[in-house]
Amino acid sequence: MTIKLNRRAMIAMGVAAPALLRTSWARATSELRVMAWQGYADDDWVKEFQEQTGITAQVVFIGTDDEIWAKIKGSEGKDFDVFAVNTAQLQRYIDGGLTTPHDLAKLPNQKNVLPRFQDLAQIKGIMRDGKVHAIPFCFDSIGLIYDKAKVSPAPDSFTILWDPKYKGKVLAYDNGEHNFSFTALTLGFPDPFHLSPEQMGQIKAKLSELKQNVLSFYTTPDEALQLYKSNDVALIWANYGQQQVKAMKDAGADIGYVNPKEGALAWLDTWAMTSGVQDKDAAEAWVNFLLQKKIGEQLSERTGFGNTVAETGSANANDKLVWLEFVEDPTKRSDLWNEVKAQP
Amino acid sequence: MLFVGDRQAKGWRIAISALAYGLPFLFIIAPLLSFLTYSFFWVEGGQMHYDLTWRNYSRFFTDAIFIPVLWQTCLLCLAVAVLAALLGYPVAFRLATLSGRRKYILLMLVLVPLLMSYIIKIYAIRSILGGNGFLNRFLVWANLIDQPLTLFVFNLNAVLLTLTVLLIPFAILPIFLSLERIPKNLIEASTDLGASNWQTFCRVILPLSLPGVVTATSFVFVLAIGDFLTPQMVGGPNGFTFGRIIYSQFGAAFNWPFGAALSVILALVMSAVIALGRRFERQT
Repeated sequence: MTIKLNRRAMIAMGVAAPALLRTSWARATSELRVMAWQGYADDDWVKEFQEQTGITAQVVFIGTDDEIWAKIKGSEGKDFDVFAVNTAQLQRYIDGGLTTPHDLAKLPNQKNVLPRFQDLAQIKGIMRDGKVHAIPFCFDSIGLIYDKAKVSPAPDSFTILWDPKYKGKVLAYDNGEHNFSFTALTLGFPDPFHLSPEQMGQIKAKLSELKQNVLSFYTTPDEALQLYKSNDVALIWANYGQQQVKAMKDAGADIGYVNPKEGALAWLDTWAMTSGVQDKDAAEAWVNFLLQKKIGEQLSERTGFGNTVAETGSANANDKLVWLEFVEDPTKRSDLWNEVKAQP
Repeated sequence: MLFVGDRQAKGWRIAISALAYGLPFLFIIAPLLSFLTYSFFWVEGGQMHYDLTWRNYSRFFTDAIFIPVLWQTCLLCLAVAVLAALLGYPVAFRLATLSGRRKYILLMLVLVPLLMSYIIKIYAIRSILGGNGFLNRFLVWANLIDQPLTLFVFNLNAVLLTLTVLLIPFAILPIFLSLERIPKNLIEASTDLGASNWQTFCRVILPLSLPGVVTATSFVFVLAIGDFLTPQMVGGPNGFTFGRIIYSQFGAAFNWPFGAALSVILALVMSAVIALGRRFERQT
């Protein structure tokens, strides 16, 4: 039903999606090779996409960043047309010449995205030499979860994690890389991913203070939930964002989620075309199709993650999000983090 | 052996000895050698360099955090081992004095926890020890305390307790075996010569079972020192052990060579403890 309506609506509007319509009739049975994370290419979308455009999307789901790299780099981009990748990872694909820039004229739906994603030049890493190498699709922030009964009013700053009032009631994440980045934001350092040795020293001292306030460092969302259930926990640094919020709410916890004013770290997944893309129009039709409001809402409803088209709980319009980048030296950060943990 | 001289049998024999030597080599010696080799490589800026160097070992001695953490970990594991042996001894003693079916039922009960997944046991212990955990709620309910205790919540005490509980079966078995091996007529002779039960225990049974106690202690120590999950799960911010440093080198730090060097050092500590135990055993 909705499919017919869509098609009729498009014809009625005439100008709305000429590119899309052209591909749909010109290539009645073409095939598109898609590589995606679970939840980014659900069966009903693939079916609807085929009915609208006549293009069959063959989706391969991947489990890790390294798997994407192995498959794309391994075939020098020839085995897939379009793939999902986060902005930090994207850099090595662009460096290696494994991507094909998008033509925004073929992506009319990109005009209707949330203000945060309107100006692609503002999103670090997706443009190079004036060309758009990837289109933002899905994101989540790493904010603060707080117990509504124990923390009131809602916190607005990461500094609350250091508040002695919550000594022994804070859960933090056991990872040097992220902990250095978010503490850098808390201390007001402009670039949390490229720190000078002095900045690192200051952050290390600050993290040693944080340790005194922390009940435990967790590694998985399940672990955090279990710790929350059997202890007096007020605040959680939420490495797993909305996924964690959902798991805790499902377990009956009365919690809230905020992106503190210093800026929350956030990952951003995008769609990029490979250098070996066989049918560029089909690949762009796929990306454009996924940028519909309806798909964005379904994506967020099903995965809990934020989408680029419709507002969700991941972030309010005014929240400051800091897109994750590779850090200057992960080994160094991990060593310093071990030193923090080894202190008495 | 049955068909000596048969050419086919000879072929079989060669194949079987090849397996007998080959499999341990393939699955034990070769991996050990590979990480020994890795410990001489080095990493800089996320890149592995394959020329041989001592820098990983010298870093262990020069960097201020590693030796204190290793020392603390050794003390912790020694405490676990002594505690497990002290608690395991009475159980093993009771086991050895029982006879017939009851002995084997009790033995089974002691071994049942070993069939359960190790991680599930840690999770279970964690919900017992937590701030709102079973232990605290029980103590509050029983009016023994008014505020939940933090004595056993996410610190080294919790690690000590959890490791001891997890490893007690490994202490009971060697002690039980050494008690079983004491000839009954020695005990009878002691009683015949007028020794009280206590005297018999102190002068005959305890000295003869000491080798088992030593084995149990070194066994538990070695198992405890190699553990990184228990400190991670119940240790909280202050339960940092050497196992966790090694673990972090393979994950977040992506410094396999340094992790391998730390593992080699840990393996040396373990070998030393086992050798010490055996020496002590021979003397007693």
